[in-house]
Amino acid sequence: MLLLPALAILVAALGYPLYRQAVMSFQEYGLAQQFGQPAEWVGLDNYVTLVTDSYLWTVILRSIVFCFANAAITMVIGVALAVLMTVIGRGPRLILQIGLLLAWAMPHLASLTVWQWLFDSQYGVINWLLVNLGFDRFAGHSWLIDQLSFFVVATVIVVWMSVPFVAFAVYAGLTQVPGELYEAAEIDGASAWARFRAVTVPLVKPVLLIVMLLQIIWDLKVFTQIFVLQDAGGITAQTNLIGTYIYRLGLGEGEFGLAAAASWFVLLLTVVLSLYYVRVLVREEEL
Amino acid sequence: MSTRTRTRQRAFGALAVVIALIWMFPVYWMLNSSFLPYNRIRAAEPSFLPLNGTLSAYGRVFDSNFFDTLRISAMVTGITVVAALLFAFLAALALSRFRFKGRRSFILAVLIIQMIPAEGLFISQFKLLEGWQLLNSVIGLSLLYIAAVVPFTIWMLRGFVNGVPRDLEEAALVDGCSRLQAFFRITFPLLAPGLVASGVYAFLQAWNEFTLSLVIMTRPENMTLPLWLRSFTEANRVSDWAGIMAGSVLVAVPVMIFFLLVQHRMTSGLVSGAVKG
Amino acid sequence: MNRALRLTAGLAAAALALSACGGDGDDSTEPAAGGESAGTPEPADLRLWLNGPDTPQSMRDWLVAEFEEQNPGSTLTIEEQEWEGLVDRLTTSLGSESETPDVVEVGNTQAPTFTTVGAFTDITDLLPDLGGDDLLQGFVDAGSADGSTYAVPLYAGSSYVFYRKDLFAASGLEVPTTMQEFVDAAVKLKQDNASVPNFSGFWLPGQDWRDGAAFLWDAGGDFAVEDGGEWSGALSSPESQEGLQLVQRLFTEASGAPKDGNEADGHVPFCAGEVGMALRPGWLRGSLEDPEIGCPDLMANVGVFALPGTDGEPAPVLLGGSNVAVSAKSPNQELSAKLLELILSDEFQSQYAENGLTPAKVSLADGLGTDEFAAATIEAVTNAKLTPAAAAWATVEGSRVLEDLFVAIANGGDVQQLAEDADAAIADQLG
Repeated sequence: MLLLPALAILVAALGYPLYRQAVMSFQEYGLAQQFGQPAEWVGLDNYVTLVTDSYLWTVILRSIVFCFANAAITMVIGVALAVLMTVIGRGPRLILQIGLLLAWAMPHLASLTVWQWLFDSQYGVINWLLVNLGFDRFAGHSWLIDQLSFFVVATVIVVWMSVPFVAFAVYAGLTQVPGELYEAAEIDGASAWARFRAVTVPLVKPVLLIVMLLQIIWDLKVFTQIFVLQDAGGITAQTNLIGTYIYRLGLGEGEFGLAAAASWFVLLLTVVLSLYYVRVLVREEEL
Repeated sequence: MSTRTRTRQRAFGALAVVIALIWMFPVYWMLNSSFLPYNRIRAAEPSFLPLNGTLSAYGRVFDSNFFDTLRISAMVTGITVVAALLFAFLAALALSRFRFKGRRSFILAVLIIQMIPAEGLFISQFKLLEGWQLLNSVIGLSLLYIAAVVPFTIWMLRGFVNGVPRDLEEAALVDGCSRLQAFFRITFPLLAPGLVASGVYAFLQAWNEFTLSLVIMTRPENMTLPLWLRSFTEANRVSDWAGIMAGSVLVAVPVMIFFLLVQHRMTSGLVSGAVKG
Repeated sequence: MNRALRLTAGLAAAALALSACGGDGDDSTEPAAGGESAGTPEPADLRLWLNGPDTPQSMRDWLVAEFEEQNPGSTLTIEEQEWEGLVDRLTTSLGSESETPDVVEVGNTQAPTFTTVGAFTDITDLLPDLGGDDLLQGFVDAGSADGSTYAVPLYAGSSYVFYRKDLFAASGLEVPTTMQEFVDAAVKLKQDNASVPNFSGFWLPGQDWRDGAAFLWDAGGDFAVEDGGEWSGALSSPESQEGLQLVQRLFTEASGAPKDGNEADGHVPFCAGEVGMALRPGWLRGSLEDPEIGCPDLMANVGVFALPGTDGEPAPVLLGGSNVAVSAKSPNQELSAKLLELILSDEFQSQYAENGLTPAKVSLADGLGTDEFAAATIEAVTNAKLTPAAAAWATVEGSRVLEDLFVAIANGGDVQQLAEDADAAIADQLG
């Protein structure tokens, strides 16, 4: 069967780890167990610990807001750039694609470092620029110490990193739209926006849906960017999102049982949040 | 094309170039920093151009075992891209062209796999590979990477296979092609943009992955590029930033080469193909 | 369509060819794991993990040569690890019989994480041969659990004050001998150099609780205290409050460092002439002297002294460093023990002293030399302290409660209130 290779590799590489993850979430499983001591069955204790933690709910709410804001901004910019690629000449298109790809391909260590430098309070290019434009109050201004400002910076970085993927995927989808359809619509006198909605969107809908869904999933799990920014500045307790919080909850110190429970918990949350998209996707399947 | 649309195309083209430049600025900053001496990388007066710069950072990173590391990363990434595309392509084909029992559950399962938070999973994945004696092996690491990118690739390619009008294939069938022939002659070329987009995705995921590589490839001779790059953060007790930036430039170059090799496939998709078909 | 098919087949073949390479590479390294011993240890290939650049290449070369000479037929491979991600790597590799390194270096605050879980071999019996009472006691404690010792000190280091002699002279200041004089000097330097942007009389970025700890301890306070086996936060005690108030004064009146910054790259503002004094680890000297990253020209104007305490004795500064241990899963236990003995031998340890680090044995500290830097190092170590010895202390550091506390203090917050909140969080994590 054609499905077999994909299925086999998924089961092989993820099946056992996921099973183990599920078992661990009901166990007192820490470093000692990792080194061979028997794990104690604790039932739902790990889950109870999580759910009764009031700070966790603050973090979840914060993560959801952050996730939807970022996913929406990323999608709007990404789709706009993809459409832009279809209406411009070969040269500018290649330049735009290379620009986006460079941003995407830049090793994370380098990109996160550069962004930190740009927003640095004393040696940052952004403050330097603002001060030279006459905004003296930005001399030594910290972009991270204020919660809202911290998340604005985080959003800039996350969007900058995710737009290339969206733009490429959607552009690839757009190239599938037969040109004749546009011409037909143009002859019918449809405006550009109407053409976009009536012709383009339905045809690239499968790609749009999956890309949107992935953005929601990824932005809910965002970890590295927040983790690195917290190290650079800001107040950790005010800026934790689900990813960094789970990590700080004990993964770094080997509380694997608790972390496993948190993973399943987040999975459930993701499913709930994306239920709408999943239903649309499955309904598409019936066609 | 009318002059009006042509001017408009020019204006949009200019806009695209401006956006590209904005998007590239951090990349430029990386390149710029890789040529600067340390006291100019972080200074009250930023240096926007690497005037009187130095190549010494490149000298420092080149004499490390860059090429050995490059070889390992290239193998892992190559296997991941090829296998992920092939497997996902077959699966996408099955999902969109055939009806069978369990099809919906498979699609849903693939979707849910995307949502699993990966933090912490590496503990179990390490045990898995240990059991198979695949630690410190290119195959072992590739296996994990393939599994990580295949679900998305299936979804992406399925959308594309769905997007190929079935009439085209059926027309070919009428012309006397077998189902398989029809597929490879008509559908396959039309999927090129999807394959390229998914391929670039798979390539970058494998190329830049850090955590799994950190715990699986523990022997120095099996280092991948992200691990190699990370080693400059503690090379001299303080981070060798110019070295890190120079190393990052070197790491990004193969990605650009890969993209330039495949990018033309992205634009010559259905539009031209369908008409000829 | 044949072409397309052949292409696909070709790609698959390429994948197989590549996989064959990977497999071969793995096989060839396999025999390293062998070598069950009976009586005299069988020759084997040992792997030692050392972290970061603290152990210079010359010392590594010496260790390999010496080990291979003492154990004919055996080899030693030193694999350098980075501190970042080390815990993840140790967590997985130490549990694997085929992949575990034989001997590993861990940070002294990481050591308790692994000693209580059975990752390291019990070396209590070896202790007398390794140095016994001569070893840095705080590090031995960090490597011990339930009366047994699993990890011994490798080296230590502590911070002392780097200062600008020229700026001191311009402000008519002498090297301070008490905490009071130190604070006055820091404030005066900042006032006298107000024209320099971001100038720090005493450089203290907001997140730097590790160096701020000295002021807390000097005032008699602490982060957490143990009472009948129960740990609780102690930041709101009167003594701690006095120390934290002083920290806030330094933040506002003496420091020009970012209020939420971290202490990495401390040489950058120093070389930019924005710092009068900074409490940094001894290796800052190396960064400053390095022509690529530092400012060797400035060195003529740089002096050092140990941070003075209120009583005129050196103030208690945070002691950092490493422990070294044998992996419990290592198949080469006897050889590993021999390697450990060699690492703790006087010959090897005195080389750490020559390189400016405090050796694992107290008796070797004289090897540091007699210059200004050595004097400051020795003085600073005499009164240095470790973080609270609670088993779960790593959780406190991981959650960044202390970074948050210090940033909030730097930002002008109510010290009493902030400390009470931090105490509650710490009690929660240690309980």
